Amino acid sequence: MNSLDPRVNRLPSTRYPVPNEPTAPLDQFGTFEVFVVQPKEEKPFQHEGIVHAPNLEMAYVLAKEAFTRRFVCVSLYVVDTTNVAVSPMTEGDVSIYQQIEDRPGQAGEKLSYEIYHLTKRGKQHVHAGTVQAVNGPDAMVKAKHQFNSGKGICSVWVIRTKDIRFTLPDEKDLWNTLPEKKFRDASAYKGGDKLSMFLQSKQNTSDHSGHSDNADQ
Amino acid sequence: MNDIALKELLYKIADDQLILGHRNSEWTGMGPLLEEDIAFSSMAQDKVGQSLAIYTLLHSLGDGDPDTLAFTRGGNQFQNCVLVELPNGEYDFSLVRHFLFDTAEAIRFDLLSNSSYEPLAQLAKKIRGELRYHTLHANTWIRQLGSSTEESIARIQASLNFSLPFAMGIFEVSPHENELIESGVFAGEKELKQRWLAKVEEIIHQTDLRLPDLNAVEPVLGGRVGKHSEHLQPLLEEMSEVFRIDPTAEW
Amino acid sequence: MYGGGNTFEGVKTDSVAQEDPVKLGEFEGRIARGEKIEPSDWMPLLYRKQLIRMIEQHAHSEIIGALPEGTWITRAPGFKRKMALMAKVQDEVGHAQLLYSAAETLGKPREQMIDDLITGKSKYSNVFNYPTFTWGDCCFISWLVDAGAIVNQLANAKGSYGPYCRALERICAEESFHLKYGHHCVIYLATGSSKQREMFQDAINRWWPPMMHFFGPADMISTHTPVLMKWKVKMGTNDDMRNQFLDMYVPKVWELGFTLPDPNLAKNSQTGRWNYTEPDWEEFKRVINGDGPCNKERLEVRRIAEERGRWVRKALKSPQAAYVTPLA
Repeated sequence: MNSLDPRVNRLPSTRYPVPNEPTAPLDQFGTFEVFVVQPKEEKPFQHEGIVHAPNLEMAYVLAKEAFTRRFVCVSLYVVDTTNVAVSPMTEGDVSIYQQIEDRPGQAGEKLSYEIYHLTKRGKQHVHAGTVQAVNGPDAMVKAKHQFNSGKGICSVWVIRTKDIRFTLPDEKDLWNTLPEKKFRDASAYKGGDKLSMFLQSKQNTSDHSGHSDNADQ
Repeated sequence: MNDIALKELLYKIADDQLILGHRNSEWTGMGPLLEEDIAFSSMAQDKVGQSLAIYTLLHSLGDGDPDTLAFTRGGNQFQNCVLVELPNGEYDFSLVRHFLFDTAEAIRFDLLSNSSYEPLAQLAKKIRGELRYHTLHANTWIRQLGSSTEESIARIQASLNFSLPFAMGIFEVSPHENELIESGVFAGEKELKQRWLAKVEEIIHQTDLRLPDLNAVEPVLGGRVGKHSEHLQPLLEEMSEVFRIDPTAEW
Repeated sequence: MYGGGNTFEGVKTDSVAQEDPVKLGEFEGRIARGEKIEPSDWMPLLYRKQLIRMIEQHAHSEIIGALPEGTWITRAPGFKRKMALMAKVQDEVGHAQLLYSAAETLGKPREQMIDDLITGKSKYSNVFNYPTFTWGDCCFISWLVDAGAIVNQLANAKGSYGPYCRALERICAEESFHLKYGHHCVIYLATGSSKQREMFQDAINRWWPPMMHFFGPADMISTHTPVLMKWKVKMGTNDDMRNQFLDMYVPKVWELGFTLPDPNLAKNSQTGRWNYTEPDWEEFKRVINGDGPCNKERLEVRRIAEERGRWVRKALKSPQAAYVTPLA
């Protein structure tokens, strides 16, 4: 290619598939939900979005830069979307927990489940707490009793704790230098002083070469 | 402590980081997967940022300011190893280079965190987390691609075979080696290489790849003393293209 | 870096008449109340289709938009600019990732969208079909094209679809860095040597016409789709957005002592709107349909990137991880 872009000129040329060739099947990866804690240790994890990745570990590695390359972050975790149990969404002020019926005591080994609440359409799901339950529906019932604040909760997500790839304790320093990366922040680009000096010197010269502010016609 | 020895150490580290960061930044917007494009770019920014920190140290020792050091020196004044100046090739080469180099870099800074030269020790402790991410990323990818399809294994293996002679250039011994070791500034390239080899073997063993016998590898040296491949000069000219329009200008 | 609500194709509204009137009423009621529509809600076919198109094109604009500035990453003058530009272009890729994810919640897989971009089926913002000849051109994009995008994005962030609004919130936060960085670059060029000033003035002269095209065809020649405004899919007319941009940024360009290559450009103090030479909409149509200076190159670069990455993606596919639509 003959481009102005030196990188593009270094690219190998490629043959675009001729119509008769079967097009390769579209590559498609798994989907993983990403939860992040910013800025402080005490704040709850909040859902931020997704990454596509082939597996949980790769999802963690990729999510770290996709979602936490700014501001302050102390932790991050990911889970396969298929491992998120999702309640229906309610209308108006109705709390989803009003629609959850109590179930008789369930037998079986108790596992740990993480619970997330959405308090309003348009916002993100936020971690509400952990329950011990024998399965997802049981976890929902436990959450109803432990976390139902009475305020409108329009949607609940339930995730089995062991399906989550958490940040390990010794991985916390992954984000150590993040607050110092000011070059990614608007605050590092204050041109105000230079601009003021320039405008001042323009005013001081008797010859106004620039356009005036307004040209009423 | 001899300033010359210290500066030589600082230049080679900073030049490695700048040139590799520059190379890796060429992938931005053209990576194989959106999320990976983002991750690779972050690591390139880390490298350039780290080189800036070290050029800043050099400036405090009396040398030029970082922009001057990075954007005006000629190719034969750069002390990066030849590995980092090579063109990006395909993603297999870039990933293998990332794996080989960053494994060494993490260990180098681990050793430097005990340096008797305090600013370097502080910097090493500070960037530990960044380098941890770089090796986490590299190891995850090498494990994945090194055990997946026939094609990916073949490509990674070929890149490994190709890169190893150049990787030896990371550990090219300095004429001031003994002084650096004795003064406690740096534990030396031999120590670094030993630990690096153990780590690389550990990861490679978790894949279907094979690490060639290092004794049979012909090292490509010279980068540390300004003897570079034909790739560095064009890289530097491109890097300084706008800067050179007016080196005294503020951009 | 676009988000204009234009999709450059005609909109067929016939399907609306066939929708369940009760469901449609509830849906429209929700929007009128200012509530967000979430992926699991019932929505009319037209809403779904139009949003996919719009968000997808916004995403394509980001990934293609990474190229004209990306070309200057290896040549950025000095550490400050080098690192900033790396971060900015990275953000464009990040925005593409966020936006594709938002569009995916409506049921179209990301790989399908990327394929549609490469085959030329889907469009992207026209402004990126032009070349960045100099560092000055790069700074123009970083400042003024981003400024234009922000005008669109701030408007669309008040739209009705939850996932798109959430993506836009993130994007707007990052764009504040882009805008300040861009302005900073231009201030330095303006206050620098005469070579630097000339470089940027040249860039303005080249880029002003595409910038005037940026917000889409003039209202008087666009087709209006009132239902899209009612559903808060399109948040303002093209001319409204254009005027907002001119209001905010023309004075800033002038205060730096640069000229804009349109002798008719002036604010009409009576109407409060800007007068300007009507842009060439035939040129706009030609370029958006493939006949611009860089169209071929932009798509070719994406095709090459996808082809070179094919073996990587193949090696990442595993039988365990199955593709599913994102939740939110």
